[in-house]
Amino acid sequence: MNKILIIIFICSISLGILSEAEQKFTFDKEAYSFDNIVQEELFYSLLVELRCPKCQSSNLSGSNSPISNDLKREVYELVIKEQSAEEIKAYLVERYGNFIIYNPPIEPATYILWFGPFLLIILSLGSIILYRRKQA
Amino acid sequence: MKKLLDILPLVIFVTLIIVLFSFLSNEDDQLETALIDESFPEFSLTSLTDKTKVLTKSDISELPALINVWATWCIACKVEHPFLMQLKEESILPIYGLNYKDNRNKAIALLQADGNPFEFSIFDFEGRLAIDLGVYGAPETFFIDKAGLIRVRHVGVIDDKVWKEKFAKYLDE
Repeated sequence: MNKILIIIFICSISLGILSEAEQKFTFDKEAYSFDNIVQEELFYSLLVELRCPKCQSSNLSGSNSPISNDLKREVYELVIKEQSAEEIKAYLVERYGNFIIYNPPIEPATYILWFGPFLLIILSLGSIILYRRKQA
Repeated sequence: MKKLLDILPLVIFVTLIIVLFSFLSNEDDQLETALIDESFPEFSLTSLTDKTKVLTKSDISELPALINVWATWCIACKVEHPFLMQLKEESILPIYGLNYKDNRNKAIALLQADGNPFEFSIFDFEGRLAIDLGVYGAPETFFIDKAGLIRVRHVGVIDDKVWKEKFAKYLDE
């Protein structure tokens, strides 16, 4: 029983490490000025959350490709116009599809993405328990 | 029953491997297109050849038509250029160019040297219309039907095979 607790403990630690989003900015931050801190925070949080369409495994903040810079400008202009995070994301999804957001919505097409891992956990825990019972 | 249970992990593992491998060989790398069956977006940009002339959606007047996203820095665009010329010469349908993040003079020079398959080219230096179209590179080609709706989006080079498989059927509608 203790072993299982240790395994769960280790798993939860590694989950914590994984969920720390990588926050690096490889572009010139001076180019963007804001009226207030709320706008600024919204802008930078969106850049972490939005994916670069060209370089599929990078977010906008980590990419300097022309399309990423265009999208940064687009996001910046919408932030300055006092659009909310939801409105800005909806605007980009309308054009680029769910692909553009790293945090896709829960809908039939993404069920396997959202619930697959839990299914795997249940399956593997279930089989461990079954196996142990058989052995006992 | 016990034997079955013993080999269950192996069965699951093998199934998973087969499923994942089948995804590997799936060559359809096209991204989803949010704009299919939507109306072509409004725009207001200058003409490539005349920077004083402002083009809008109403200038794309002959439908159905192709919108081709191209640039002089785009190598694959040079590859598909002869096919676009062929579509023009055979008067299959009008092609409108979207010159994407390019140098105006270089782009004009290229069309003069290699031939111009486009009715006109929209000069989109900042990639504004491109973002409204969900474009992320060049070349990309959109098919606009008689009603002005986007029916096909193709990312990458368009050639005879792609034309027959993806585009030709919409022309007869």
